[in-house]
Amino acid sequence: MALLEYALIGGILYGIFFSLVGIGLNLIFGVMRIINLAHGQFIMLGGFGAYLLARGLGLNPLFGIPLAIAGGIVIGYPLYYGVVPRLQKSQDPEMLSFILFFGIAQMIEAVAVFAFGADQRSLPQDALGSGNIGVLGQEFPDSWWVACLVSVLAILGLYLYFSRTRLGFATRAIMADRDEARATGIDVDRVSAIALIIGIALAGIAGVFVPYLIGSVSSSIGDGLTTTSFAIIIIGSLGNPLGTVVGGLVFGIGTMLMQTYYSSWSNLAPYALLLAIVLVRPSGLLGKAVRRA
Amino acid sequence: MSSEPLLRLENVGKRFGGMTVLHEQSFSLAPGEILGLVGPNGSGKTTTINVISGVHPADEGRVLFEGREIQGLPIFRIARLGINRSFQVPKCFRGMRVRENVEVAATFARRGAADIEAILAETGLASHADDIAGSLTVNQQKMLDLARALATNPRLLLVDEIGAGLNPAELGGIATLLKGLAARGIALIVVEHLLDFLNRVTDRVIVLGAGRMLFEGSLAAASKDPDVVAAFIGG
Repeated sequence: MALLEYALIGGILYGIFFSLVGIGLNLIFGVMRIINLAHGQFIMLGGFGAYLLARGLGLNPLFGIPLAIAGGIVIGYPLYYGVVPRLQKSQDPEMLSFILFFGIAQMIEAVAVFAFGADQRSLPQDALGSGNIGVLGQEFPDSWWVACLVSVLAILGLYLYFSRTRLGFATRAIMADRDEARATGIDVDRVSAIALIIGIALAGIAGVFVPYLIGSVSSSIGDGLTTTSFAIIIIGSLGNPLGTVVGGLVFGIGTMLMQTYYSSWSNLAPYALLLAIVLVRPSGLLGKAVRRA
Repeated sequence: MSSEPLLRLENVGKRFGGMTVLHEQSFSLAPGEILGLVGPNGSGKTTTINVISGVHPADEGRVLFEGREIQGLPIFRIARLGINRSFQVPKCFRGMRVRENVEVAATFARRGAADIEAILAETGLASHADDIAGSLTVNQQKMLDLARALATNPRLLLVDEIGAGLNPAELGGIATLLKGLAARGIALIVVEHLLDFLNRVTDRVIVLGAGRMLFEGSLAAASKDPDVVAAFIGG
């Protein structure tokens, strides 16, 4: 019973963090219908940002959060206006974005190898607290709770953005119908650029905690994170950012249960779940069809 | 009603590839006026309102709204200037509620909750306000498309075949609604195949044939014009 409690509580913490890992990818797909294959690389950059702040400047890695937001602006704004409107005019923007962002991912990874080498880098273990916090007798490191708290705040912030702000309202309208949004007087490019900035910033914020939840950050970690993020958002609902939370929780609890009871099979869990969901409910647990065939 | 034109087209032309679909269209529209656009399929009616609303920029000529050239402006800018439209195949934010559809448009036109409720009532959608837009019938979606356009506070409304598929009672309701909008000073261009319906809302029509303006005047006179008769029944 204690093992099950450990797996469930740990799975919820892990799952909430992985909701943050996937949510930026889902936001970008939902708003722009482009597939950001560089998502994991943006997470990796967030991890290295925190690493530089902590190891290079002796600052708390949490300063990586504003750095990730700044990075989202610096990267997202020119990336949107340089790439996305041209993609949208093509015959098949999704496939073209797939190829283009694969190239961007490889470029980021090459630059990261050049800048940081191929080694795995860790952050000071006590920077986010040196103790454990227990629930129902099951203890988890402070860093897991901090990551979970920041993830909840980020997801809550996104929810409030969607539900309480004019820009968020416009973002939802664009996700529903891009052409109709234009006809309604919404500056679709401006709102979409902001969504790309938010998506990249959320990825960077998740990256700050990757060294704690996964153990380290390295320049080759991006592709795996992109794949995991895709599994999470497809399980939840492709194109529905808040559905990512469901996907993250299913992924987190599934992974922790497997790690607890069948650890050698645990890496298989997200992909087995993904296959099952795609076969039984292709639109995801919360989803509806988002792509016109 | 002011005599100053709200909208003026000057020798507007549009090509798709090597095919010219609009030839030198010139007409004007005053505030509060309803203009009917009629013609056979492929005559350029929808293309005309696509050019005015910015969906397809004009290749030749000028489109002036309140004296300002608007050809080439992005659709959202044209919408913010006060030109909006409904679509032949109704468009809406299908995953959002009916009220939210109208709210999105109203938000960007800085209109309040009372305006939203008034528009929902005016378009007969008040009882469906909390329904998901995608669950509405096609005719209800047409009304929602119109409601969304009205919420942007247009001074020129382009209405594309709103009458198709409606029964006589529904057509009567739409005719009353459109005339009411015109009485409030909103200019309308109504693309329609249903001539009886058009006859109830306007006495000025432009007849198009193969992208050319064949006739401008009353529907009654149009029916006696040899070019119009030839365009509709061949000759």
